[in-house]
Amino acid sequence: MNKILKAIDERLKLSELYEKYLSGYMVPGNLNFWYCLGSVLIVIFSIQIITGILLLMYYIPSVDKAFESVMYITNKVPFGWLIRRVHAVGANLFVLVLFFHMFSVLIMGSYKKPREIHWITGCLLFALVLVECLSGYLLPWSQLSYWATTVATNFPGAFPFIGDFLVYVIRGGEKVTQLTLGRFFSIHVSLIPFTIFILIAIHIFVIRRTGISFPPGTDETKVKKIPFFPHFVLEDLKVIYIFLAIMFLIVFFYPQFVLPRDALIPADPLSTPEHIKPEWYFLANYQFLKLIPNEFLGIFLQLIIAVIIFLLPFIDRTPERRIWKRPVFFGIVIFGIIFYVLLTIWGYIS
Amino acid sequence: MDKKMTRRKFLGKLVAGILGGTIALFTAPIAFYLLPKKEKKKLNIFVDPKGNPIPESSIKEGDYELGLSDEGPVIIVRREGVLYAFSAVCTHLGCIVKWIPSRNEFLCPCHAGRFDANGAVISGPPPAPLKRYKIEITSEGFIILS
Repeated sequence: MNKILKAIDERLKLSELYEKYLSGYMVPGNLNFWYCLGSVLIVIFSIQIITGILLLMYYIPSVDKAFESVMYITNKVPFGWLIRRVHAVGANLFVLVLFFHMFSVLIMGSYKKPREIHWITGCLLFALVLVECLSGYLLPWSQLSYWATTVATNFPGAFPFIGDFLVYVIRGGEKVTQLTLGRFFSIHVSLIPFTIFILIAIHIFVIRRTGISFPPGTDETKVKKIPFFPHFVLEDLKVIYIFLAIMFLIVFFYPQFVLPRDALIPADPLSTPEHIKPEWYFLANYQFLKLIPNEFLGIFLQLIIAVIIFLLPFIDRTPERRIWKRPVFFGIVIFGIIFYVLLTIWGYIS
Repeated sequence: MDKKMTRRKFLGKLVAGILGGTIALFTAPIAFYLLPKKEKKKLNIFVDPKGNPIPESSIKEGDYELGLSDEGPVIIVRREGVLYAFSAVCTHLGCIVKWIPSRNEFLCPCHAGRFDANGAVISGPPPAPLKRYKIEITSEGFIILS
């Protein structure tokens, strides 16, 4: 084996790459837990791709067969229940960890120059992951899928002039039908994952070009540096294993968090279940829309907030990264998070 | 052999062991998931492509019917009132054979392989005869192959 590896290395000089990009790549030695969330997200994305490919082997994207095929996977295929649950729980954790990742970047001011592109690609990734979750939600063609999608795809209808047209294009028709399932299936399994993959590649590339940011408030000249591999990778692994433990805790003991009762009933376009609500990560948006009397105004205000967050590196241009030196910004962030969490809880219990 | 285990080597082996164990834990259910599920042995009924059983009365004297069994395409011919069932898959390259009543033989359209009425090779490239099935008729008139 060693001989084969040596022969390959002699020809391809892989050890040079290893030294340049792994063992010789130095990162700050005082990186904390929050710096490992990017690796956790890569692991989740990989898990979603693998479980997604496995589910595709049995799933049938047809309104007559979709629910049946998902039940077949869950009840008949060996470990099908596990693969499906991991995919469903993984999707939710993808969004949750992304929230934490973006929160840490906000608090540590890591979006500031020269890391604006990191933030932009990160925001795009976040938006794409939400669309990926939404499109995947419809695929089992359960009561929950059908009605959550019906409600969610109704929202663009609030836009003046083009609203109805937008809904028509998103659904592929007037209502949620086979045409909607077809287009959601297509973007869920091909277009969005591929785009996410490209954006992750760009995100990692720009991180490698600028280097990982130092924790704010540290003297960059005095901080000891450690090799990315194996030192920092081991730190990553610790956090990844904590994440896996949480994921499998939900998968084995609390699957109802992601697969409630209505997810186990086939879609019935003639019977809307009571208290149909979106997934937890859309609850705040949903409650916000309920509070604003004009639906268009509600969507417009949310779009304004999204654009401000997206353009944050160009709005907040001060070089100061220490949060305790930025009390106004800190206040806005904390207020925003409390507002979001309260809206989510309100949306859940209302 | 160096018997002294340094801290670095120990940690390296520990991490490798944990990663190996994780991969094994993840791979096992995926392997079971991918393995084709063995179905319980059931009656091998002769059916049309939609899965509907074909009644034996639908095959007239001198006529034939192409359908499916659990093992793949099957051709059934009625000669002198008796039903004869053969695999319709040519033993050469897997094309579907046709029954030629005027010649009392099966013909493979791909490479002109010819089989007699008992499935034996007459001419052409097929290396083996067509597989023959035994036939039983159910009380409903459906054909069971074995």
